Order: sequence, then structure tokens, then C-alpha cells
Amino acid sequence: MSWAILWKIILIFTLSAYSLLVLIVIIGGIGNIVDMLKDLRPPQTSETPADTTKLD
Amino acid sequence: MDVFATNFRTIDWIIVCVYICFPVIIGIIVRKYIRQISDFIVAGRSLRLFIAIATLTGTELGLVTVMYNAELGFKHGFSAFHVGLIETVCILAIGLTGFIVYRLRQLRVMTIPEFYEKRFGRNVRIVGGIILALGGILNMGLFLQAGARFMMGITGYSHPAGLKIFMSVMLIMVLIYTVLGGMVSVVLNDFMQFVVLSIGMLIGSIFAISKIGWDKLFEAPATVDHAAWFNPMSEGSGFGSIYVIFMVVLTFSAGALWQSGTLRALAAKTPQVAKQLYAWSSVSYLARRVIPMLWGICAYIFVSQTPNLLKAFQGPNALNTQFGMPIFIAKILPSGFLGIIAAGMFAAFMSTHDSYLLSWSSVITQDVIAPLKKDKLSDKQRLLINRITIVAIGFFLLIWGLWFEAPVSLWNYMAVTGTIYLAGAFTVVVAGLYWKRASTVGAKIALYAGLLAVLGIGPWTRGENVPFYLTDKFIGVMTFVIAFLGMIIGSLLFPDKKSSSEAPQGEKA
Repeated sequence: MSWAILWKIILIFTLSAYSLLVLIVIIGGIGNIVDMLKDLRPPQTSETPADTTKLD
Repeated sequence: MDVFATNFRTIDWIIVCVYICFPVIIGIIVRKYIRQISDFIVAGRSLRLFIAIATLTGTELGLVTVMYNAELGFKHGFSAFHVGLIETVCILAIGLTGFIVYRLRQLRVMTIPEFYEKRFGRNVRIVGGIILALGGILNMGLFLQAGARFMMGITGYSHPAGLKIFMSVMLIMVLIYTVLGGMVSVVLNDFMQFVVLSIGMLIGSIFAISKIGWDKLFEAPATVDHAAWFNPMSEGSGFGSIYVIFMVVLTFSAGALWQSGTLRALAAKTPQVAKQLYAWSSVSYLARRVIPMLWGICAYIFVSQTPNLLKAFQGPNALNTQFGMPIFIAKILPSGFLGIIAAGMFAAFMSTHDSYLLSWSSVITQDVIAPLKKDKLSDKQRLLINRITIVAIGFFLLIWGLWFEAPVSLWNYMAVTGTIYLAGAFTVVVAGLYWKRASTVGAKIALYAGLLAVLGIGPWTRGENVPFYLTDKFIGVMTFVIAFLGMIIGSLLFPDKKSSSEAPQGEKA
């Protein structure tokens, strides 16, 4: 197989696979953002201040 | 045809201005979510798969990525594609095996030098942190310059002061929202940038291919050597076998351990998500190389068919080859769409900058200053130091970008400066995770050995007839070899007194 044919296949594969990935990530990513912000929201009922020196 | 003639009109400026307000607004809104240092640096380790893919791509597909890959395509044609192919195989291998990233995520570290401390002690962490910050900041030294050149090329602004004006304005924008929001705003902006830029790049590729013609795209222009245009092993291509070996080592180590990318794996919700992230993102890594290279190739074919443009890129006063791609797309994309591409690229510029600024400032705070202060800093003090460091790095970028020119190409500069950190880090992390006899002395030798790569950006690497042992690619390969040998010999000759030696245990998947 010549180099030109190899690069032609790589180019076609890249454009097709990336188009598909973008579609999947847009659909899945919106839900993920909502979940992430829920995880990070400070608890509403807590009366004890967070330990600010604790790293994790 | 005027070299800087462009389809960029008032409507495009409006699109860019409106678009770039969003990141700043997001930065202000998400401030309420930043409560502790882990929220700022790794978004509270809350990233799920799809948002992690978007943010990893957003980081690794910056404007500078587009510029250096387009420059490679412009200068070397299809032979440049080998870099993308090698990188994709390496990222896929990491994703399928979980090599390095899975175990690092299990350990719940926030930075790579934090691992050094867990495995080799505090001194190694401080040394590693300093070298990582040095290599990383030098590596992003030309981001601002490349971004400004893109904006000049696409807007057709060729005033002599254009570079300084664009660099200053772009820097101020990125500093404002990185300092405000930390990783949470970075993640949200990365997602927005991923969507706009990915769609823009795919549509832009259709325009570029239509302009040149599918069949003509695979014919080497008359001004270049046919074999060199396609075959990366051909010495005339500007690459050759040593370069290919360098790319294998570099892209594999960078895939696993480049701080801004690894930070995404460390921010993943579970070690399993970190692993999946790499497998899925291998497609993004291919696209971030191949699509800009395609634009660069189309740009060169277009230039070679237009005599006055070809003349502008030849001779002693030739335009920098980084201008090739933006000048091309400024002429072929219609007004309106050009504004969206410019806005997407500007967002890409911001998202890469914010991630890198955050990465290096985190390393300086967490791995150099905090250990030196015996970890007596509060979260509030750490956040303040992070923010001050971000601003200081920003000013360094402005000065370095105005003063320094990449000796060979933008990508080669980035590869070599990346090696300063990667040669030592890759050796130390791999040995630390997988070799029981790896010792502290071996780790220090490997880290210091990485500094040899700085020779690769010296003026002696410039020009056509440089002896092979002074080329940047040879210096890059040898730095990895010396770091590797240093680790083995140092560990065998100077083993640790207490056999600590297995990698520390972390959380389960």
C-alpha cells in the first residue's frame, strides 16, 4: 500500500469517526454537566462550617 | 491577490466579541461552587465520562495545537500525519490497558509530583515540581504568539504592532476568567469550546477540500519532492527515523503524563472512567492532529498555485509559515462562518491557556511552595497563591512570546520543551509504579536528566545542515535514554535504605 492511500484512509476515518464522537459527546455531556453541578452544590441543611484546611 | 486579504467583516467581529463574553460570565457564575482546593484544581473529582472527553479534547485541542499542526502540514505535507497516527495508537493503548493513569487515579493524587512524594519522599516532589513547572511554562511560552498570529492572519490585520496588541488583549481575557473560576469554569468552557470548534473544524474541512479538490489534494505540489510529501521516513521530509522514534516516546509519555491532560484523568469520577476517557479520546487526539494538518496541506497547495502568495513565503523576508493556514482560511471561508471559526479558535485558545495556567500554578502551589512551608498553608492561602502564580505566568508568556522565535518549527519547540519534564516524569512514574527497586537517587537523576532537553531549543538546532547530534530530535531522544539509564543505574547503585518500595495503595475502582 502506498503512503498516499494510507493517508487517504486515515483522513476519511478521522472525519467520519470524529463527527460521530462529537454527536455522542454533545448528547451525553449536557447530562453530565447537570450532575456535576449537583455534586458540587453546597449542602443546604448543614449547620457545621466546612473544614477549610482539609484537602480531600 | 493581497497576502492579507480576508473575508473577515464587521459581522465576524460582532460574533467574536459576543462569544468571548460567555467564558467570563461562566467564570463569575461558578465562583460559588469553589469551596476548597480540590474543587479549584480537579473540580471536586466529579467528572463523568462525556464531559471528561469534552474537557480533555477542549484542553488538548487548543488554538496553538491547530497552529503547530497546520504548520507541520504546510511545511511537510501528508508525511506529517504520522505524528497523529502514532499519538492515537499510544492514547488508545493507554486507554485499553489503563497504563499509569488508572493507578494514579486510584491514588487520588492531584498532581504528578504529589505521586513523587508518596513514592520517593518530599525532596523528590519539590525537585520534580520545579522541573515540571519550568518545562511546562517554557512549553506554553509561544502559545500567545501563535494565537496572535492566527488572529492577525484571519482578520487580515497586518499592522507591525498587531502581534503586541493581540497578545495583550488575549492574555487579559484569559487571565480574568481562569483566576475567577478554577477547574469548574474550565470544564464548562471546555465543553462549549468542544462543541463550537469541533463543528466548525468539520465544516471548515469540507470548505478546504472543496477549494482544492479531492483528487488534487493527494497530488504533491510541483514545488515539493513527491516522496518527501508523503513518506515520513524519507529524510527529505524533514522527519526521518530518529524523529519517528522521538514521536513514539514523546507522545506515549505525554499521553500518560502531560499534566493538563492527566489532570482530567485525576478529576474523573472513578479510575474506570479515567481509563475509558483515554480510549474514547483517541479519536479526538487523531482529529486534533489530522484536521489542522489537512488545513495546512490545503493552504500550501493554494499558496503554491498563487504566485504572489508563494513569493510572500519565500526568500529572506519570508512570512512565518504559521501564517499559511490562517491566511488561507481567511480567503476561502465565507463571512459569518469565518466569525464562528475565529470565535471557536479564540475559545480554544482560552480553554488551553486556562488549563495550562491552572496546571502549572497548581504544581507551583501544591508541589513547591506548600511542601517548603511544611504543608501549613490553608486552602484560602493556597487559592491566593494559585491565582497570583497564574497572573505571573501570564506576564512571562507575554514577554517570552514577544522575544523568542521557535528555531525549527512550533511543534518541534513544544516537543523539546515538553521533554524537559516528560523524560524524567515518565521514567520516575513508570519505575515508581511498576519497579520495586526504584530508588530516590535514581528518581532524582532521571528528573535532572530531563533538563538536558533544554539544549534542543538552542540556536545551534537552526538551519538545514546541522550535524545530526545537534538536531532537536536527537537531543530529545537522548534525553529520554539518559533519564531511563539514570533511573536504573542510580537505583541499583544507591538503593533506598528502607524498602518502601511498592507504589502506595489508593482507592478501589
